[in-house]
Amino acid sequence: MHDEVAAYVLGVLDEEEHEAFERHLDECEQCRRELVELVELPEQLDELKHTPSASDDDPPMSMSR
Amino acid sequence: MCPVLGHLDGRFESADAEAEHRIAVLYQEFGGPLLRHVRKSTGNDLQWAEDVVQETLVRAWRNSARLQWEPSLLWAWLLTVARRIVIDGRRRKSVRPHEVEPPEVDMMAVPDGSERALSAIVVADALRSLSDEHREVIEQTYLRDRTISEAAEILGIPPGTVKSRLYYGIRALRELLRDKGVAG
Repeated sequence: MHDEVAAYVLGVLDEEEHEAFERHLDECEQCRRELVELVELPEQLDELKHTPSASDDDPPMSMSR
Repeated sequence: MCPVLGHLDGRFESADAEAEHRIAVLYQEFGGPLLRHVRKSTGNDLQWAEDVVQETLVRAWRNSARLQWEPSLLWAWLLTVARRIVIDGRRRKSVRPHEVEPPEVDMMAVPDGSERALSAIVVADALRSLSDEHREVIEQTYLRDRTISEAAEILGIPPGTVKSRLYYGIRALRELLRDKGVAG
């Protein structure tokens, strides 16, 4: 369960797993601490998603919504 | 101690009035900072970002026990709730979100001259220096808006392995980026 903190902070768990991990978070001090440590990572990765590419052949990482 | 839940008892005529007040306090406390963060992931779509902030704060209000967490943890949780709402929204709005494959990190061209570009270079460099296994799961999940299950199917490995590699990959990435001053 503990290693799901990375998937949780990135928002890539399935709905059920996401909710189960939130309940785990209520009980697990270690995962709460890791959540705080990892919370900036997704926005740092967003730098890649939103970077425009130089060529029309290479679509940007950001998806159409 | 988070002030959100303090000193409210007995001041309100109805439960609705109290709920309204508490959500207003949450807005005051977290609305502005959340909106600034959420706008980055909605591609600066203000209306969408405002909806996400509202839904985030309503969920927070429904989880009153978590409002008593220490501020750094509460903030981390709120950001994660908001991110999840954005991702869900993007998946719902997009009929075929993965029709256009994003380029591999190695292929990405980064324009010169802006802070954003500089951050992107630093993050791309850090990602490249991870092991193939670690980089692959980050690319196949978060960077493509895919869940663990979807990525596991594409990669042909068990979901538990994706989660575990993602954990070690993300931790390694954090170590690499920690002292580089990349805007978070």
